[in-house]
Amino acid sequence: MLTRRLIVCLDVKGGRVVKGTQFVNLRDVGDPVELAARYEAEGADEVTFLDISASAEERATLLDVARRTAERLFVPLTIGGGVRSADDVARALRAGADKVSINSAAVDRPAVLTESADRFGAQCVVASIDAKWDDAARMFRVYVKGGRQPTELEAVSWAAECVRRGAGEILLTSIDRDGARTGYDLPLTRAVADAVDVPVIASGGAGDATHVRDAIVDGHADAALVAGILHDGLTTVAALKDTMRDAGLPVRMASVERGA
Amino acid sequence: MTTRVTLFDYGAGNLHSLAKALEAAGAEVRVETDAARAVENTDALILPGVGAFQAAAQRLAPGRDAVRDALGAGLPALGICLGMQLLFDASDEGPGAGLGVIPGRVTRLDAARVPQIGWNAIDDARDPLFAASGLGVAYYANSFVCRPDDDAPVTAWSEHEGDRFPAAVRQGNVVGVQFHPEKSSAPGLAFVKAFVESVRDS
Repeated sequence: MLTRRLIVCLDVKGGRVVKGTQFVNLRDVGDPVELAARYEAEGADEVTFLDISASAEERATLLDVARRTAERLFVPLTIGGGVRSADDVARALRAGADKVSINSAAVDRPAVLTESADRFGAQCVVASIDAKWDDAARMFRVYVKGGRQPTELEAVSWAAECVRRGAGEILLTSIDRDGARTGYDLPLTRAVADAVDVPVIASGGAGDATHVRDAIVDGHADAALVAGILHDGLTTVAALKDTMRDAGLPVRMASVERGA
Repeated sequence: MTTRVTLFDYGAGNLHSLAKALEAAGAEVRVETDAARAVENTDALILPGVGAFQAAAQRLAPGRDAVRDALGAGLPALGICLGMQLLFDASDEGPGAGLGVIPGRVTRLDAARVPQIGWNAIDDARDPLFAASGLGVAYYANSFVCRPDDDAPVTAWSEHEGDRFPAAVRQGNVVGVQFHPEKSSAPGLAFVKAFVESVRDS
């Protein structure tokens, strides 16, 4: 049986891990290679790097970071941010990524998902969806350009479309909850997870271990993505996994494996 | 003496982590894009795990007989994910001939959630590489699995949504694993190291 995953996300800018609130007040958190290796040692199931500048020059920097990370990281690495084409995916994979997440480019031209999946397999194509509740329209609306630009797309049907077009996984971020630390958006997560037959990663809103548990138990997510609460030292990977395990979820416990 | 291993690169994707895992295990790693040359002047062949069956089978085709002969003569090999699938006769994923070292066919996972992406338990392991490494949960990213004609070569199992499939097979010195040891953290690295050490001692 597959275990439920805990994925650590690192926002990368200028070759460093940064952290901010709604993309402002960025501050330096550390070296991505060092941090990725540390989170692996603590038991993180995967690491995700998001290039939050997504400019052309920065992308070359991120690929260099991926290359240096892949030499030391022995859990899966996903990279995303500014990926526009199957050739961009190829460059990321060659640099050492195992999966590549595609966001705005898929909305602009959904065929990029199919082209990437045909060349490299669905297992490395992650459709990244940023969504926000639209009370007037009574729907979760999809946003692009780092959550700044609304689209006409509804999140659940867009997720299903991404899967039809070749995405092997959905990274689902709630804009409403991002950075709020009040818990994942469970109705959004559940609606998408129940509508698609690929793994869904819940993102945005983790404040403590019970939120991670709830995203999986009540939100039906396969994995939960966490960032700030780890970087700020509010909790640890081990503590999050203990809570998942105590809720009866199958999880990989790093310490148990070492002793096995 | 250093153990020389050769990675057969079918041109698909990320070989970094696997190369680093083999180097960490003390092996001297050579990357070879020609299948026939990949089994020359080496102590072991590594078939990595990234890409699609058809493309890999095409790249393998010109050197297929040479590889088959070398493995038949006892050259140790480790096939990972797609590399394991290439040890079999053929695949439903696409046309092309596998190596046919292990009789059987590759078919799609019989599950709702495909691809299988994540860490899955290794059950009923009887290959000594598992005992040596302590690998009990491994990372998978696959849509297809191997179905050997009989279970004799199967040395470990995993299960996804009720579909039980071979996690590992062995035929003499040829080992295939459906998971990615190079993505399975410290116990995965220990598995690769145990393989390299078994090559050294063989």
